[in-house]
Amino acid sequence: MSEFTMGPTLLNLVLWLPMVGVALVLLAARANDGLARAISVATMGVQFAVAAMLYLQFDATAPGLQFATQLPWIAQWGVSYLIGLDGFNILLVLLTAFLGPIVVLGAWTSIKKDVPLFHGMVLLLQFAMMGAFVAQDLFLFYLFWEAMLIPMFLIIGMWGGARRVYATLKFVLYTAFGSILMLAAVIYLVHTMQQSSGVLSFAFDDLYRAQLPLSVQTILLGAFALSFAIKVPMVPLHTWLPDAHVEAPTAGSVILAGVLLKMGTYGFMKLGFPLFPDAARAFTPILMTLAVISIVYGACLALVQTDIKKIIAYSSISHLGYVMLGLLSLELVGIQGAIIQMVSHGLVAAGLFLLVGMIYDRCHTRELAAYGGLARLLPVYSVFFMIFTLASVGLPTTSGFTGEFLALMGAFTAAWPAHLDGSNYPLVLAVVAVTGVVLGAMYMLRFALTFLFGEVKAPHHSPEHPLLDLSWREKSILGLLAVAVFALGLFPNGALQKTELAAKTYQSLVTTSRVPVGSPVSQAGVTP
Amino acid sequence: MAMLPEHLLLGGIVLLIVMAVLGRGARSALWVALGAVVASCTAAFWLSNAQFAAEPFAGQFSVTPAVLMAKGALLALAVPVLLMSRTEFSDGEFSILLLSSLYGLCLLPSSDSFLVMFLGLEMLAMPVYALVLLAFRRPQSAESAFKYLVLSGAASATFLMGVSLLYGATGSMSVSAFGPALAAGDIMTRTAVVLVLLALFLKAAVVPFHAWAPDTYEGASIPVTAYMATLTKGAVLLAAVRLFSGVNASRPVVDLLMVLPLLSIVWGNLAAIKQQSFRRMIAYSSIAHAGYLFYAFLGDSAGRMQSVLFYVIAYSVTNLLAFAVMPQNDTDDQRDSLDALKGLYHRNPFAAAMIAIAMLSLAGLPPFPGFAAKFLIFKNVVAAGYTTYAVLGLVGSYLGIYFYLRVIQLLFMTASETTPGEKEAGGAARVAGVLCLVGTLVLAVLPGWVLGGM
Repeated sequence: MSEFTMGPTLLNLVLWLPMVGVALVLLAARANDGLARAISVATMGVQFAVAAMLYLQFDATAPGLQFATQLPWIAQWGVSYLIGLDGFNILLVLLTAFLGPIVVLGAWTSIKKDVPLFHGMVLLLQFAMMGAFVAQDLFLFYLFWEAMLIPMFLIIGMWGGARRVYATLKFVLYTAFGSILMLAAVIYLVHTMQQSSGVLSFAFDDLYRAQLPLSVQTILLGAFALSFAIKVPMVPLHTWLPDAHVEAPTAGSVILAGVLLKMGTYGFMKLGFPLFPDAARAFTPILMTLAVISIVYGACLALVQTDIKKIIAYSSISHLGYVMLGLLSLELVGIQGAIIQMVSHGLVAAGLFLLVGMIYDRCHTRELAAYGGLARLLPVYSVFFMIFTLASVGLPTTSGFTGEFLALMGAFTAAWPAHLDGSNYPLVLAVVAVTGVVLGAMYMLRFALTFLFGEVKAPHHSPEHPLLDLSWREKSILGLLAVAVFALGLFPNGALQKTELAAKTYQSLVTTSRVPVGSPVSQAGVTP
Repeated sequence: MAMLPEHLLLGGIVLLIVMAVLGRGARSALWVALGAVVASCTAAFWLSNAQFAAEPFAGQFSVTPAVLMAKGALLALAVPVLLMSRTEFSDGEFSILLLSSLYGLCLLPSSDSFLVMFLGLEMLAMPVYALVLLAFRRPQSAESAFKYLVLSGAASATFLMGVSLLYGATGSMSVSAFGPALAAGDIMTRTAVVLVLLALFLKAAVVPFHAWAPDTYEGASIPVTAYMATLTKGAVLLAAVRLFSGVNASRPVVDLLMVLPLLSIVWGNLAAIKQQSFRRMIAYSSIAHAGYLFYAFLGDSAGRMQSVLFYVIAYSVTNLLAFAVMPQNDTDDQRDSLDALKGLYHRNPFAAAMIAIAMLSLAGLPPFPGFAAKFLIFKNVVAAGYTTYAVLGLVGSYLGIYFYLRVIQLLFMTASETTPGEKEAGGAARVAGVLCLVGTLVLAVLPGWVLGGM
């Protein structure tokens, strides 16, 4: 064990730094906008530095929580302030902290009105997302989960495009509906556990021991899964995503694609499946089918979009389908692939949305048909565009390859024994999922082809006022993302090691039955 | 001693009347009233802290630490109301009437007999008729006051009818007779129980007895609307807690307790969507909140006082917060219209942020106190075994999210319209807003501490 005693303090620092930033931004609100931006990027930078320090100190071989803090909060309800790092969240915490400064730098010039409020909201969102990842208490998790809505509501609604109000209301109303049923399930779960075992607690570790009959598990998983599946989003609950992405400002899209969507898959991995393992296994075929439909359907929709932001929005649906596929395979490699795919998608989608935002800032249109031959106008931009496109397609050496490959391998590993037992369905699903890779290459390369090559055309471009290629600020944020993409693609070992134990824990939690011994399966359900 | 909070209020009322008769100190009336309320509130908290319990009038009036805590909390909520009144009511009348109403409010949770409870309900409501009329600059005020008078009178009559039937059936005027009567099977007792409940529903504006609330709220001035939406509603609910104390809801009353509050939640939230006036919207929101509050009665009796009181506090604090920072306007039409809030963020960011926090809390979104309060109520409902109804109630609360968000949308996402004659809320009202903000933050960050004190 490491002698790292500062750990808990540092983790609290990672969580609360954005709130310090919010306070500073509010204080500086009357000064100039530059100060707000500077405070924001400084806070996020320090947050990332501390998070990176924790990542390096993280002991991959130690089971359980690390750097944990537990303080009683609402003792009467069994709620405590319990945060900590484990293999489940370590990479996502790092990803969130990494994207923080990039989001702020990406919005440096494109956000011109109400700048202090914007940065306040971005920091608030960062706080809520970080909190949802590090929370190890269900009540706390729910608070952060819901708290993410409000800043996002304002970010899309205040700085978004023409249909921003419609898009943001749709986003919030969709997500809030899932959450309200999840709340009912949380209340019921904790109450039932208290009645059966006498333990009144919201801590994940205690809830993992709750014994529930299958019928109850099914209903509760349904409520949790609805909430998470909306967030992922899984087809058919995905319709809020294209609207939100298209209308959101670039920073909003980056946060949405980079981190927020991972909340859904993280929720499945950390809560949904391990809390209700028997129901999860019973539902695996349905959920897997939905995951594969998401992969293929998302890719098909991306193929026919004419709006460049929508292409990437739909590609997110497709890529997160692989995460679900990997999680549901219950094979170690698939689970680890899912985790890597989450991070990879966070990096790649963030890069692509930034690139789209940069071209939108110059040309003020998102119509694919309006562009062509950008490679000749903007060479540096085009290089970055190609890197992220290929990473999205899953070219080996990029992170996209590692994630997709491992997730698909997990699906096949799980499907083969089933096939030998005479059940072909999982194998068929896995094969269909592979076509998503091909479709992915099709829509991304079609996009790159019309965008970068061919006849030179771009709105607001004329020989007298040529389009400006990337500035230093833009090059550096894209460069950082590209480095991360290759690092994860070429050296996935470090990340895989840190998450291996968590993947095993997840595997054993979901494969172990927790139906109470001796209880009839058809015990009375939720209704009194 | 047991009635120290009431005595202090009475002292304040007498002092104010003397001052009014002598014709001096119209400006200082507010501060005298404020002093009386703060003293009374402190007394209640102090007695509660000292675990004081007494029965000064056996069978009529008694206090326990929990009851004193409830009184103290409600009296504390009256402080922002008084502060808010400064801009509109400069003479002592408002203070005298409000203090009289508060006196009635203090009687309710302590009442042991139906007579005292009736007295409390009447003393609570009577001054409010006058308070609504005090803003007689506009014709709707008369209509509002009249509606409130008639409907409240009907509620009182229903209550009395129920009580007399109950007296006929049980021969007792003690409120503890109400509990056993809930389970009784004979038609007379059952009618009595239903009538008493309906009277409470009418007073608290539960569907289908809600129609008076939007009209009355709209016609009254801001502080009076705030008072009606928060404190009088809370007081009626505390009276209901007193009636149901020690009894778990059981059939057949359960049906009444489940269906009407659920309807109230759904209808209140749906009807609020269409409102163009802020006060009408708050009225429908308060109808929905009455529904959540009556849901608490499905829970076991042990935690009921706590959950109702916590909900009333969280709901009132945030409601008062919104009212306190609301910009003032010379013409009533503009002041009341939701359109007046358009782009408020660009003119007055503080007020816009406060109203937004209030709306989110009323919508029950975490981390604001409205969430913890709702959580507690539904937790108790689930614990009592009514899971299906808890889920229905929660889904009903989801319906409300839209119109609260619409207010935020108006505040932040619409272009600013300069409305002539718009002024910031007055200084005292802003102090009230800051007090409410502090209360909101305490409830949000330390709900465990607040609950531990109850």
